[in-house]
Amino acid sequence: MLHGNMMKILVVEDDRTTGQYITRGLREEGHTVDLVENGRDGLVQATGSDHDVMIVDWMLPEIDGLTLVKSLRGAGNRTPVLFLTAMGSVDDRIAGLNAGADDYLVKPFAFGELSARINALGRRPRVMAQETVLRAGDLTMDLVTRDVVRAGQKLDLLPREFAILEHLLRRKGRIQTRTMLLENVWGISFDPQTNVVETHISRLRAKVDKPFATDLIKTVRGAGYRIEA
Amino acid sequence: MSRIATLLRASPVRLALGLVALFAVVSVASLTASYTASRSSLDATMRRDLTQDIAGFRAAPSAAALAALVTAEARVTDPNRMVLSYVTAQGQRFGNGVLAQDQDGYFLTEINDPDTRIDGQYLALTTPLRGGQLTVARSRAEIDQLWRVFRNIVLLSLLPTLTIALGAALILARRAAGQVRVLGNTLDQLTTGNLSARVNPTPRWSDDFHRIGARIDRMASAQQASVDALRQVSSDVAHDLKTPIQRISVHLDELSGMPLPPDATALVDQATAEIAGVVSVFHALLQIAQIEAGTPKSRFAPVDLVPLVQTFAELYDPTAGESGRTLDLQIETETAVVLGDRDLLGQILANLMENALRHTDDGTPITIGLRRDGAIVALSVADRGPGIPAGERDKVLQRLYRLDRSRATPGSGLGLSLVSVIADLHDARLTLADNDPGLVVTLRFASV
Repeated sequence: MLHGNMMKILVVEDDRTTGQYITRGLREEGHTVDLVENGRDGLVQATGSDHDVMIVDWMLPEIDGLTLVKSLRGAGNRTPVLFLTAMGSVDDRIAGLNAGADDYLVKPFAFGELSARINALGRRPRVMAQETVLRAGDLTMDLVTRDVVRAGQKLDLLPREFAILEHLLRRKGRIQTRTMLLENVWGISFDPQTNVVETHISRLRAKVDKPFATDLIKTVRGAGYRIEA
Repeated sequence: MSRIATLLRASPVRLALGLVALFAVVSVASLTASYTASRSSLDATMRRDLTQDIAGFRAAPSAAALAALVTAEARVTDPNRMVLSYVTAQGQRFGNGVLAQDQDGYFLTEINDPDTRIDGQYLALTTPLRGGQLTVARSRAEIDQLWRVFRNIVLLSLLPTLTIALGAALILARRAAGQVRVLGNTLDQLTTGNLSARVNPTPRWSDDFHRIGARIDRMASAQQASVDALRQVSSDVAHDLKTPIQRISVHLDELSGMPLPPDATALVDQATAEIAGVVSVFHALLQIAQIEAGTPKSRFAPVDLVPLVQTFAELYDPTAGESGRTLDLQIETETAVVLGDRDLLGQILANLMENALRHTDDGTPITIGLRRDGAIVALSVADRGPGIPAGERDKVLQRLYRLDRSRATPGSGLGLSLVSVIADLHDARLTLADNDPGLVVTLRFASV
């Protein structure tokens, strides 16, 4: 799946299998990827050239990921950083974010999750203050009147369904994973075991897609959901 | 006011006050004893002098001679020091002062003559002589002077001593109170999970507090070192196990992208699901270990459970609805603010919801309750499932414990353990009870 926006990505990961997997996947998506295997090389690469996004493992030889990100931020480098970690506790997440990381992914992760988060980091949603109507295909969402209309037919959405649809519409063309939806729509930063997000999406689909000929909300297998641009 | 009261109750002040009081009592007693002794000695001398004075006048052969002698003596005698008085049988008065007297012997008197008014008491001795009454009175000014001397000793030596002792005690007590406060604050911080808190006693500290402070610091350093070591171990274990798990996931993902016979695809999916299960158990164990190793409560902030509970109820509502369950929300309070970590409190709600969904039959109701009872916020999740036998309710809070009948259902067996650990961290009381039928799990927090 090729995205319109190609990025230059630096991957700092000492485990060769994982590093090459990430690199291969991102290159298949059309990104340019530099892979280094220790923190020192990571710091040199990060300061030497300008990357759009960095993926940094926490446990690295020579200089660990936390120190690497702190040094970069200390030197004024603002490149978005996705942190990879074996630990997943609240403490570690906070330590990572405090060091200056922008997002955080606990191992083991699926490539789809990583890719969706990298795309979200590299192209942060622009603030569209003036925009009061969101569109996709034959659907319009009026953010002021809170009316959602598809093919001339008004849809009756619950507040949370409206919020999910708005989130997907604002990030048209980009995959949103279950955990990203949980974080952004519900403000919950951990992953429940049951399929809570799926059931919300299927309720939303029953109103937005089911009565119509084409589906707006696409499922991307192993990754998440997306509304096509 | 209460600060002064606290200061007065401090042990150094009480000790100092006691010592000062004892010193004062002993000083006053010894001064009183010396005063009494000196006074009675002066008194005796005076009586002796009076007797000798009278004896001098006995030599006079007649009343007239006595009168002349008294008059002559009186002329050169200062009435402030001594008064001589001779009253004849006819009532004639001679001398330098008039002393009214009815009785013989020693008596205390004052000079009340309107002409020669003199302050102070006199000790007088009267004796009948040559038909009249001869009285000699000596001023007791010396004895009064003695009283003033002793009073001055008290004022000039004892009072400054007491004031200085009391002041010094208050200053010492304030210093001690400051040191006790530092010790107390450090202990509070250590018990609430801030293991980097230290007393750091300075050389100005008193010896005993300095020793206690140094020992607390040594203890805290040892505790911090062992917690750090524990964290390092769990972090190393996490890394060493997660890296191969990550590789397996990568290989499975690569496999699933290849053209495979249907049987192989099913096996890959099964292996992927198993890996997800391993990860969830491992993740829960790591989380429990890390919370138990000491999550700093310094990060805690006021969290209103009302919106948090509403969010989770809303999140789980469609999932419950899919299996024909109803999710009832019974919030009986406007706000329910507790001190805690929002993510961990949310984890409690998620685990209790997952548990209720996993272990109850389709179509049964689940009720989330939130109410405030005075200073207590009670959060409960109740279901109409099979419940947990009374004897096993404690055991389900143990790691990896599963009821026999739930071995076939998915889940790590760590959900309630994690709830219990997070409840402990928040000083919340966790109870499992019979919902008759079903299980009701209640957490009681102190409200903010």
